[in-house]
Amino acid sequence: MTYLLHILIYIGIFSILSISLNLLVGYTGILSIAHAAFYGVGAYAVALMALQFHSPFLVNLVLAVIASGVLGALVGIPSLRIKDDYFIIATFAFQVIVFSILNNWVSFTGGPMGLPGIPQPVIFGIRVSSHVGFLILIVILCVFTFWFSGRVVKSPFGRVLRAIREDEVFAQSFGKNVAGFKVKVFMMGAGLAAIAGVMYATYISFIDPTSFTVMESIFIISIVIIGGAGSLWGPVLGAVVLVALPELLRFIGLPNAVAANIRQMLYGGLLVAFMLWRPRGFVGKYGFNK
Amino acid sequence: MINQLLLNALFAGCIYILIAVSFSLIYHITRFFHFAHAVVFTSGAYFTYLFHKLLGLPVCIAIPIAIGLAALLGCGMEVSVYKPLRKKNASPMVLLLASLGLYIVLQNTISMVFGDDTKSIRSGVVKEGLLVFGARITPIQIVIICTSIVLVVLVALWLKKSKMGKAMRAVANDAELAEISGIDSHNVILWTFAIGSGLAGVAGILVALDVDMTPTMGMNVLMMGVVAVIIGGVGSIPGVALGALLLGLAQHLGVWKISSQWQDAIAFIILFVFLLVRPQGFLGRKVKKVSV
Repeated sequence: MTYLLHILIYIGIFSILSISLNLLVGYTGILSIAHAAFYGVGAYAVALMALQFHSPFLVNLVLAVIASGVLGALVGIPSLRIKDDYFIIATFAFQVIVFSILNNWVSFTGGPMGLPGIPQPVIFGIRVSSHVGFLILIVILCVFTFWFSGRVVKSPFGRVLRAIREDEVFAQSFGKNVAGFKVKVFMMGAGLAAIAGVMYATYISFIDPTSFTVMESIFIISIVIIGGAGSLWGPVLGAVVLVALPELLRFIGLPNAVAANIRQMLYGGLLVAFMLWRPRGFVGKYGFNK
Repeated sequence: MINQLLLNALFAGCIYILIAVSFSLIYHITRFFHFAHAVVFTSGAYFTYLFHKLLGLPVCIAIPIAIGLAALLGCGMEVSVYKPLRKKNASPMVLLLASLGLYIVLQNTISMVFGDDTKSIRSGVVKEGLLVFGARITPIQIVIICTSIVLVVLVALWLKKSKMGKAMRAVANDAELAEISGIDSHNVILWTFAIGSGLAGVAGILVALDVDMTPTMGMNVLMMGVVAVIIGGVGSIPGVALGALLLGLAQHLGVWKISSQWQDAIAFIILFVFLLVRPQGFLGRKVKKVSV
């Protein structure tokens, strides 16, 4: 039962990540390989706040989201002015820089040893400590993220995003500030990703840089694309499939070392297969056919 | 001290040049970001390890086989994934995502077959380096520098003079127009993959000769190559060479003041500066943002 709850919590965390990335990839047509970095920023922000200043959980959550969003703007403003490929490389660069800071600035982030003993969240005097408690909290945050991204994409703002995705020049010719819209949506994506980081850090109570690598970013991209980019439910479906499927490997009895490789090969292979035969993913509305 | 740093910078630059030129060749002609190039690079080293250390072939036979297989691996990707995608008129983004998938699958295959620990193809005792202008350099480093420079010059000449090189530049310039003039663009692209991947294989072997190999080594080196390409300017081999040398210089002069684990961060911060100030690179032409 605990195992099942654990998997559901993971699905929740990755749903938040993929819903937020979908705003960029699926609705605006910009691919970011830095999502795990923002996820990490959220996790480290909450951990450092809680460990150093013992500040309350909700304050930390909000601060983590703001920190990540601001960082998103700092990365987005220079790199979103330039063409697609360079933007992707810029996000890759940012991902590596963040990892490098988490891994090397030992006095601040704990370096490779990570940060242990992150306290459990206390919300209005109630301590969230059980698996069920965490699941409820994550479901609430997931619903919030889903609602938020739904609001965004159905608003006039979201309509402009889709216009940018389909034809940037066209959107520009209607007087839309394309770079401005991109930066705003990038900030939203970064901020929402931090929520997932906050939940991961407080749930596991220990974080180290290995959870926030380029590979993790690619995993989140795979979730969005296999589930279906540009649809609200696609990323959720993708998270369910890609988090739960490798768990089945456990029951076949593969040794742990091989299982990690097989898990990655599974989503890498799925990514290639979907690109070849179904670039829209399971339920997606956008097949990157710009 | 400063001489040693400059020599290290030159050495790093020579490694970056090779991977940067091989990447930019493919990028310039196919117009998509071939991430899986990183695993082609790694495969060169592991194929050498397989044939030399595990199967006991002499180095002078193992290395050509490994380069050939790396080239074949690149062509295999082109034929099995990229070409079908191109035939469906897939966007560069789709090709990029497919190449990310390929990278993950192949990198994990190498991990599973050979294990995640460091493997070595060096043999014999470590000799003390020669003294050149007050800086130490090992014979193998001299071999690496020479190989890299010779190969890059050959590629540059070949692109300029040979028929296939001209066809490649034609396809890079305008694939449709090239087709109309009777150039088989799929064939040209296949050749591009063969040569680019072969070069990447060579780069992988050279790096492994210097600092051994791990299954994940490719991505980092590839990204350094990409940074060099952006600094130098896409589509210009002298530019790329300049970019690679500058990158090596910046990284190694940086190490003078701060610790070496920040080298990656230095490289990518330079990248950010370039993207901000001069996205077309030193010698590249200004990138046209849109074409109607």
